[in-house]
Amino acid sequence: MQSDRIIILKEPQTYTEQELIAALKLRREEAFSYLYDHYAAALNGVIRNIIPEIHTATDILQDVFVKIWKQIDSYDSSRAGLYTWMFTIARTVAIDYVRSRGWQNSLRNSALTEGNHQLADNNILPSDEPGLRKIVHTLKEEHKTVLELAYFQGYTQAEIAGLINIPVNTVKTRIRAAILQLKKKINR
Amino acid sequence: MDIKAYIESGIIESYVFGLATPEEEEELLQLSKVYPEVRVAVGNCEKWLRDVSGRYAITAPGEVKMQLLNRLHDEFSTPVHTVPVIHRYREVVFKYAAVLALCLLAVSGLLNIYLYSRYRQANRDFTRLQSQHDMMAADNRAYQARFAIIEHELQVITAPGTRRISLSGVAGREQRLVTLYWDTHTKDVYLIANDLPVPPEGKQYQLWALVGGKPVPAGLLDEKCSGLCAAEPVQQAEAFAITLEKKGGSVTPTMDQMFVLGKVNI
Repeated sequence: MQSDRIIILKEPQTYTEQELIAALKLRREEAFSYLYDHYAAALNGVIRNIIPEIHTATDILQDVFVKIWKQIDSYDSSRAGLYTWMFTIARTVAIDYVRSRGWQNSLRNSALTEGNHQLADNNILPSDEPGLRKIVHTLKEEHKTVLELAYFQGYTQAEIAGLINIPVNTVKTRIRAAILQLKKKINR
Repeated sequence: MDIKAYIESGIIESYVFGLATPEEEEELLQLSKVYPEVRVAVGNCEKWLRDVSGRYAITAPGEVKMQLLNRLHDEFSTPVHTVPVIHRYREVVFKYAAVLALCLLAVSGLLNIYLYSRYRQANRDFTRLQSQHDMMAADNRAYQARFAIIEHELQVITAPGTRRISLSGVAGREQRLVTLYWDTHTKDVYLIANDLPVPPEGKQYQLWALVGGKPVPAGLLDEKCSGLCAAEPVQQAEAFAITLEKKGGSVTPTMDQMFVLGKVNI
């Protein structure tokens, strides 16, 4: 069994995005292996931005790849690129975990060195903050708050409107403006 | 609708990052069908997301991949591996064949030992039988020879002209008895002298024929002969006597050494 797998992994294999999706839908192990090799680090970065704690993030990464594997048949290339679709799954799984009771409890019970990110107005940030979030926290307050709540904590626009007591339309425009500011900072 | 303003509003980024509401998403999808520049903008933003993700990528712990491959192992489609299956089937067949061959070898080995012991036993029996056979053949030859002698003696004794003469012990030697056969046709003489004592050293028994009252030497008795022994032919005799003489015989008999005497009954 083990030797069979090694033989498969040995096959030199490159895929176009269409070929990769087709091979994944055919449940080919080598395609999954290729997918992992090419996207695990990027998706891990996305997850670590939301869950800085490495062991939990690693578990979430596994769950994300399992979910990608299980849901590949429902992937629609006309709606989004493969990476965007996987990025959405990674962010959704990570946020679902963050918003679960277990995560809230662990935050409450242990003084995590990574800091407490559940509150938007928490300005105390550790220096080893994973990349993207660090940049978000350099944005001006109103942009930082909506992105923190929307992107890192998964609150809907309506929830944010309730939380910080502003109209939903304002949340909408603030998110759009904030993300443009973020883009500017990243691209600078 | 000012599409340029729409695209630059941040809705594209908001959508790609997954921060847009379902209504916003629906609106964007509808517009992208009408305005190719919206599709292009979304495509560019997706590329930008990949770039950003790559920039902030964090290598996952090395064991995660193997854990995932193990976790999903049963779900991977297996390419048709007929060769390994056949190989495994052959392996099993070979394994059984090898076991069978070893069993047969062991049985054969035991059989060899058994048969070899049987062979050695048979060989010993054969050798013994052969020696017995040789001994019996030798006995047979000896009996044949002995039978030939007896047959000859019987022929001599029972021949029509043969006379049987009993030589009785003289006074003082009454217990001695010699039987003499004289073939009156061939003149051959035979003796059965077993009853005489063994002659002392340097002495020998001598047969005498009495012809006209005078003793005539009729030969010496062969010491080595037992049973019916041939003596010298005698042409005529009225009686026979045996005396003990010096070795080689005498011209005249020593009368006091006469052992037996018997008359020929005509």
